[in-house]
Formats: sequence, structure tokens, C-alpha cells
Amino acid sequence: MEEDLDRWFIREIVAHEAALMRYLSRCWSDHTEIHDIRQECYIRVYEAAAKSRPVSAKSFLFQTARHLMVDHLRRRRVVSIESVEDLDALNVSVDELSPERRLSGVQELWHLSYAFDQLPAKCREVVWMRKVQGLSQRDVGTKLHIAETTVEKHMARGIRLLAKFLFDEERATERTSAKDTGAASAPELKDTGLEHES
Amino acid sequence: MSLKAIEEYASECLARRDSGQWSDADQASLNDWLRASTAHRVAYLRLEAAWAEAGRLKALGAGLTLDQVPPPGALRDNPFLKSAQVNTALPLIAPKTPRRVPYALAASIALCAVGAIAWRFYAPHSSSYETIVGGLEGIPLSDGSHVTLNSDSEVQVAVTPRERGVELNHGEAFFEVAKDPTRPFVVKAGHARVIAVGTQFSVRREGDQVDVVVIEGHVRVERDNQSSGAPPALLAPGDIARSDGQGVLVQEKPLSEAEAILSWRSGFLVFHDTPLKEAVAQFNRYNTRKIVIEDSKVANLKIDGNFKSTNSEAFVRLIESGLPIRAEHQDGHIILRGE
Repeated sequence: MEEDLDRWFIREIVAHEAALMRYLSRCWSDHTEIHDIRQECYIRVYEAAAKSRPVSAKSFLFQTARHLMVDHLRRRRVVSIESVEDLDALNVSVDELSPERRLSGVQELWHLSYAFDQLPAKCREVVWMRKVQGLSQRDVGTKLHIAETTVEKHMARGIRLLAKFLFDEERATERTSAKDTGAASAPELKDTGLEHES
Repeated sequence: MSLKAIEEYASECLARRDSGQWSDADQASLNDWLRASTAHRVAYLRLEAAWAEAGRLKALGAGLTLDQVPPPGALRDNPFLKSAQVNTALPLIAPKTPRRVPYALAASIALCAVGAIAWRFYAPHSSSYETIVGGLEGIPLSDGSHVTLNSDSEVQVAVTPRERGVELNHGEAFFEVAKDPTRPFVVKAGHARVIAVGTQFSVRREGDQVDVVVIEGHVRVERDNQSSGAPPALLAPGDIARSDGQGVLVQEKPLSEAEAILSWRSGFLVFHDTPLKEAVAQFNRYNTRKIVIEDSKVANLKIDGNFKSTNSEAFVRLIESGLPIRAEHQDGHIILRGE
């Protein structure tokens, strides 16, 4: 059961990370906080899904994000809107944020090669040698004249950056095709956030 | 544990687990760590998924000399991927509609514009521009300068080969002045004259009071009537000057503060520890539905944040939810009272 939940989480939630980050960065102008908001959002979704899986994972994810931002605003004593230019901006339809865009296998590989190329040179070398050439940590260290612990550090950093470029950065294929989702807000969601909670 | 620390620990585990130096005890302690908090688990799952995905790099390496790390971009030269690149990347660059007709249209408009500018350049008369409450308008001038007109403002512009003159009748405008030492750029606002050569600054006029904010280059502020004896004030970036008909008061501020004052150019109001009554006065410049504070108790509550200047309703909803304030809509006004 737990295994299952983990796989569901990757397939249905992390898959929308790029759109989620776009949404967060649009609504929350203090960009130093949005990674924490994303994390908080993941925690809430995961814990809720452990009890029962939401019918539509994607809408549930974005609803959770919106509630979280509203909560954050309320918790501040001063109206430190700090960031949210306008709560209306939080009310947008899910489809507008993340139209179904399943990449084909080939496109996924293309995106992977893009993410891989974004890595800093040393990280990139270490990841390639370990993951593709299957060299041991020690051999990589010898080849690159660096300590084994340094190899491990480059690996760890490579993993973090790959996650960033694979999930959180806009997919290379979406970069220009996904026009700014800015303007229109979906009427059916309009204002529900606030009234519902006050 | 911060997110950064969580991700560092999780990625180190993943790196070590792959290294072959991973014992059962290591696995057990990772399991404990994962069970300890959902924050650990979700961060780990995300990184693990990325790392699993990276396993497919092998497929990309097929056909390449495996004992070398491919140079950046080499993977995408893979013939297998080239087809994908065509599929995914091309639609992003190719325009959806044929461009030829719009180009032709644009060209003819541009020709008209050149004609109009040339005409205006030599024409002695001035043009007048005006914005309504809540309006924001950009006006390109024939000398390459640019004027941004704020809400409820009016200017008259006369650009001649000898001088560039703007008269601010009321309201506020931001000027980006194209460099031209032979033709000073002069803004007249009531009794004050603001003179620049190539710079960026704003002038705001409310009756007799004129405020000037400079963010680039230097400008000179002088009285209309030089015989009054008041020396002109020279302003540098970050300077904010207020002239009230008697004299000019100059405050030196950090440039960021001067820029925050000019945030209206992008349609935003920026408040930092601003008393509610001042914030409300700002909003009332941009909206016809005026906000009225009927309770002096709340007038000095402090506000922070960035707001869209034309959306006072959203602003009111936010202060209602965060401050002990009740808002009431009455005869086209929004009345604020303490709770």
C-alpha cells in the first residue's frame, strides 16, 4: 500500500511540478519562499492521499497550493501581503495552469538530455561516469583526480539539480508554447477561496 | 530541518546507496528517517524519481563512445532524438500564422508613423495627452524620449529642433529622456522647472506642490521666476525633491526607495510600513470608487506589500482579512471602520 502511494505521488503530483512552480511564482512574489511552499504543499497532499486518494490529483494539488497561500497570508499579523499582488490571481482554473501535456517517450528523453546538459561540468561528468559508464565511485575519483567523498558530493548535487531541471523548471517543450497563463480567471473558482474560509 | 538540509541528506543517501558502500544499517537508518516525517519522505521521493529518470541517459548514450563524457549538446545530436527535437522544438519557433501580410501592414504603419513624427518634429504646435483615473499610458516622443503618464494626469508636449518641452498640468509623469546635450529637456510644473539632458525622473504635481524623483542621471530644479533669488537644486539618482512655491526641499534616499515610489509605472503600489491612511490616499488616486476611513483608530495601522493600483476591492478584502477592519460599500464609496 505504501509503495503504491509513493508511485502515485510521483506520477500524479510531482509530474505537475513545473506548472505548480509557475503558479506559485506568479502569485507569490517573494521567490525565496516558493520552494518551501511547494514542499509544504507536497506534504499536505501526500498526507491527505494516505487517508484517501483524491479523485482528481491535479485539481487537488492546485487547490492545496491556493489554500496554503491564503493560510500564509492570514497567519501574518500585519497585512503583509508581502507578495500576493491580488488574491484574485490565486483563482485560476487548473486546466489553464497545466493543460494535459503528456510527453512522448522520445520527448521525455529529449527533456532529460536538456536537463543533463544544464549540470555544472564536474557534476555532469560524475553523473555520466557513474550512471552510464557504471564506474565505481573510486574509479571516477581516480579518473578525475578527486577524492571519493568529493565524487559523492558531486553526485548528490547532480541528483538535486536533475530534479530541479527535470521537474521544476519549465519543460523545454513548454518553455515558449505555454503562453503566460496570466490573465483570465476561471469563473467557477472565483472568490471561493476566501469566502469558504472566513 | 530546513528543506535545503532535507534535500542534501536525501541526495547524499541516494548517492551513497548507489556507491556499493551501503550497508543494511544504512538502509535501516534511512528508513527511520523517512518514517520520521512526511517532509523527509516527499523530498526523498522527488529526488529518487529524478535519479531513476537519469538512468535513461544510457539510452541516450547509445551510439556514442561510451568511455568519454559527451560534450554538452552532443546527446541531442543523437539521430533518434533529432526527430523528437523537430517535433517538440519546432512548433515553438515557427509562427502559427503566415507573417507576410501583417509585416506588410506593419511596414505601411511604420511609414505613416515616420511621416507623422517628421511632421511633428517641425511643427511648432504642441500635443496634449491625458489619462483618466486608473489610467496608465506610455507616450513615445519624436526625439526618442518616453513619457509614462500616471493616473488622472495631463501633459502637453512640444518637441522642436531647439528644445524639448513638456508642461505637466496636473498629475504625475515619468520621463526617460534620450541623451541630447544640444536640446535640454524641460518639464514645467506650476512654478517649478525641471531640466534634464539625458536621464530618468518623475514629476508629480498637485496644485502648488511638485515632487521630483530621480533614478538616473542628474536634473536641475529651478523656480519659474529666476529673479526670486532661490538657487536651483541639482538632483542625483535617489534624490526626492519637493517644491512648494517657497523653496525646494531635497531628500537623499537609497535608489531602491526612489524606485519603489515609481512602482506605479508597472501598475503597482508598493507599501512598506505605510500607515493605512497614506495607502488609502494612494489607492484613491487610481480608483473612482474612493475609500474613506471613518475611524481614526485604524488610520495608522501599518501596511506592507505590493498591490495592483487599480484593484482597490482586492486591497480592501485583504486588509479586512488581516486587520481588525470592517469594510462597507456605500453610495459608491468603501467605508472602513474598526471592528
